[in-house]
Amino acid sequence: MDWTNRELYPFSAIVGQEKMTKALILNAICPSIGGLLIRGEKGTAKSTSVRALAAVLPEIDVVSGCPFNCDPHKYEHLCPECKARVKQSIDLPILKRKIKVIDLPLGATEDRVLGSLDLEYAVKEGKRRFTPGLLASAHRGILYIDEVNLLNDHIVDVILDAAAMGMNIVEREGVSYMHRAEFILIGTMNPEEGELRPQLLDRFGMCIQIEGIKDLDERVRLIKLREHFDTNRTDFIIAYQAHQNNLSQKIVRSKERLPRVKISDEMVQLCSKLALDVFVAGHRADIIMRKTALSIACYEGREEVTEEDVDEAVDLVLLHRARMPPSPHYQNEKNAEHPPSPPEEGEKPEKGEKKLEAQNQQKSKAREGEEEKGGEKDKEESEKSISGIPILETVFPVGETFKVRRIQMERDRVLRKGSGRRSRTKTSSKAGRYIMSTIERKTNDLALDATLRAAAPYQQRRRRQAVAIAIEESDIREKIREKKIGNFIVFVVDASGSMGAGKRMIETKGAILSLLLDAYQKRDKVAMVAFKENRAEVLLPPTNSIELTYKLLEELPTGGKTPLCHGISLGYQIIQSYFRKDPNIYPLLVLISDGKANVSQYGGEPLSEAMEVAEEIKDDPRVNKVVIDVEKPGLISFGLAHQLSVRMGAKYFRIEDLKADTLVEVLRKDLLV
Amino acid sequence: MEDKRLIFPFAAIVGQEKMKNALILNAINPKLGGVLIRGEKGTAKSTAVRSLAALLPEIKVVADCKVGCNPNQKQEMCQQCISRLESGEELPIKKRKTRVVELPVGSTEDRVIGTLDIEQAIKKGEKRFESGILAEANRGILYVDEINLLDDHIVDVLLDSAAMGVNIVEREGVSYSHPAEFILIGTMNPEEGELRPQLLDRFGLCVNIEGIADLDERVEVVKRWASYEEDPAGFHQLWRSEEESLRDRIVKAKEILDEVTISDEMLYLIANIAIDMNVDGHRADIMMMKASKTLAAFNGRKEVLKEDVQSAADMALQHRMRRKPFQKPGVQAEKLEGIISHAHMHKHEYVHTHTHEHLKVPKV
Repeated sequence: MDWTNRELYPFSAIVGQEKMTKALILNAICPSIGGLLIRGEKGTAKSTSVRALAAVLPEIDVVSGCPFNCDPHKYEHLCPECKARVKQSIDLPILKRKIKVIDLPLGATEDRVLGSLDLEYAVKEGKRRFTPGLLASAHRGILYIDEVNLLNDHIVDVILDAAAMGMNIVEREGVSYMHRAEFILIGTMNPEEGELRPQLLDRFGMCIQIEGIKDLDERVRLIKLREHFDTNRTDFIIAYQAHQNNLSQKIVRSKERLPRVKISDEMVQLCSKLALDVFVAGHRADIIMRKTALSIACYEGREEVTEEDVDEAVDLVLLHRARMPPSPHYQNEKNAEHPPSPPEEGEKPEKGEKKLEAQNQQKSKAREGEEEKGGEKDKEESEKSISGIPILETVFPVGETFKVRRIQMERDRVLRKGSGRRSRTKTSSKAGRYIMSTIERKTNDLALDATLRAAAPYQQRRRRQAVAIAIEESDIREKIREKKIGNFIVFVVDASGSMGAGKRMIETKGAILSLLLDAYQKRDKVAMVAFKENRAEVLLPPTNSIELTYKLLEELPTGGKTPLCHGISLGYQIIQSYFRKDPNIYPLLVLISDGKANVSQYGGEPLSEAMEVAEEIKDDPRVNKVVIDVEKPGLISFGLAHQLSVRMGAKYFRIEDLKADTLVEVLRKDLLV
Repeated sequence: MEDKRLIFPFAAIVGQEKMKNALILNAINPKLGGVLIRGEKGTAKSTAVRSLAALLPEIKVVADCKVGCNPNQKQEMCQQCISRLESGEELPIKKRKTRVVELPVGSTEDRVIGTLDIEQAIKKGEKRFESGILAEANRGILYVDEINLLDDHIVDVLLDSAAMGVNIVEREGVSYSHPAEFILIGTMNPEEGELRPQLLDRFGLCVNIEGIADLDERVEVVKRWASYEEDPAGFHQLWRSEEESLRDRIVKAKEILDEVTISDEMLYLIANIAIDMNVDGHRADIMMMKASKTLAAFNGRKEVLKEDVQSAADMALQHRMRRKPFQKPGVQAEKLEGIISHAHMHKHEYVHTHTHEHLKVPKV
């Protein structure tokens, strides 16, 4: 869609959000800054601004009619067709036009992003020819991804690859092609809907966080302008034409002046020092800091970079790169963030996963050590009495929530493994988003476009009866789909009297709620089992309604004895029966307990019964298990929950382990408030 | 697909004033951005939405255009119509009713946004775009029953096009885009899970409804429904004048809508409400303003009164109050009341007068 032809809200009429508009302008002045990520709550003119930017962007020379937007002045950057024309000494027709903003819709499939075989040409000529995709259209322009955090991982990887190289290399459907793909990547997202992978985050040169305007007068001005625009678009746009032209010219002038702006060694040093202060990874930050400072000075009409310019650059460039001081386990983590291998490569991903798992375990060990030290303080706070079973049931409030760190990381890994696995099992469902096609035949989910492309080049030779394309068995391609839901979390919560001791239940509820928040973002299904008195009970059958879960959690009373065995087996039963309904789910059993048991289900010793059930679950590879130990590290520590986790083959965490005080790798804390 | 069956007349729906109001406001002013109707089952949600179409004015469309382009607005046309126009072709025009297009919960992505035309591809070896539900819904109503049960990735694409008014398709070898300006009307039963905040915010207005508690009214519901089922044509005849007067009122309101003015005092009141209620972003402000102007127009006034702002705030904030996933949606009525009645508390040069009467919201 060419946005320049539509009546869009003018860029210069955007009220407030100076940081965002400036960041966008800076990218237009100096494209090598490397793009911008805008994080912000809904309804804060994120998309409006990006789309409006197109109208004030400077003009560039392109080869007229070239789908790759070739630069006629750079011979070595020309696409093969343009090169051929130059070689035959044909003058390339030059067109002056504004830089374009290309939209990448969420439903985009791989073939349209990368480009693919030209179907019509192949049928007619029997030859393979490349038809360019979005990456070609975005060359020398802006590639805009709205809701970038919701985009499919695979598509994101493909775009990242191209962005990093400035090249799009296509080897598919018997076509091999290579063309330049240098673009400014601009993404907008609402963090409520889930975070972005750290690796992608780093790809954006700048990142800013925006929110609504709090000033009353400005707010009213905004309402008025918007209404004016909505009632008469054309008039409004005409009224702002002068502003638009001014801004556009200012950008053009700044772009021209940029090479002449100077930066002293002192300021370069300051840039690097500031980057070092927040422990950025690599040198990209320093380089972008310098470029940003130069662009700011240039835009402000200065000849040389001042300290204020550098300060301003910090907000734009360093916020999303800031990290905590490097610690021993950090290296592992970095490795773990590699993108998952594309699933169609058969067994390969499995190996990768094992490696990841190993790394994660190392990491876990490293961090456990660290947290044990940190746990000392908690010891003092912890209550001494563990016994003392209250007869009356008590309802404890929900404790403080926190950003779940560890589980999220682990889960993230689980998800990737899941999506790798799911793409094989899931094709049977024919539901979900079509991302790309495969030659593997598993289901009858026909990928028509890919099938046609596969058949097209042979049409000249095949016998066709009343059709233009005759399809043979070997042409058939199937769809690979991705569905984001499919995780199913069953919480098995100890609600016995011992949980009432200290603030244990409050903390436990806080922990569950934090996990629920996480589940909400990932849109998992949840179920909850609580065990107390003589039996366990399904508080909540499998549901999508996280709200309902919260309400039940709030009202969950504590008291009585501990039928641990019944709790675990009931939780497992729910998973089993849900499997019958939907074999594609990826279940996670979360047991929250101190591992103590004093009610028998089958008449045996309560604890050994529980251990037996645990072992039974261990043998089921489909189920992921997590044990969260709520025992306070006090004088008397039984470590029963840990034993249980080993028997169950579950990942083991203490409540304290779940807390994410150090989320800096993803974002600095103040960004997440 | 125009429905030839006689639908239960809008005017004959008993009670549910809030819902009817919100729907009418959208019929008057399509820029209001749709309604989300939250409520239990069997509360005339779907009936109201379907019957709304009968109240909507006829629109002029390009007769053979799948997207239903407006022949008088080149700016809002699809690529094909633009190129036809540019090649000097006279576009055939026809008048038709505004459509209510339903998006079934089980819809697949290719049906919603459109896909590669199989027949064209196999028979002619040409790539052609086959439009989907979003194209059909252009300039009409897109109705999603049980919107909270919709598949997540469908919601994402819905969000995308609802926000832009354009459906961009880059899939299955097809690259295409067409206008997709529609009034999004969704219904949901909150017991079955909430909607994502991002999607919630896309709805201009939201109303919560419940079954009628009044015995007499309940009996009336049953009676009317019985007589409708017995003889739909006769029932329509019975309600014809009511329907017509409502339709007239909508038409008149549409006419004066552009002339409705809103004072600075009211705008400051709106901004104040938004700040005090701590909403995300600015969509709430804009929607409150638009809704109160539309309400004024519906009541035949050319000036926005405090009571308009109050009713508008109720509808525009209902679903925007939820800052965290676990907070219950809904407006704290007393708080809103407080802000509105104490609007004079903040000092501002524009605010000269203020009344202290609590005007009752007029029944429509």
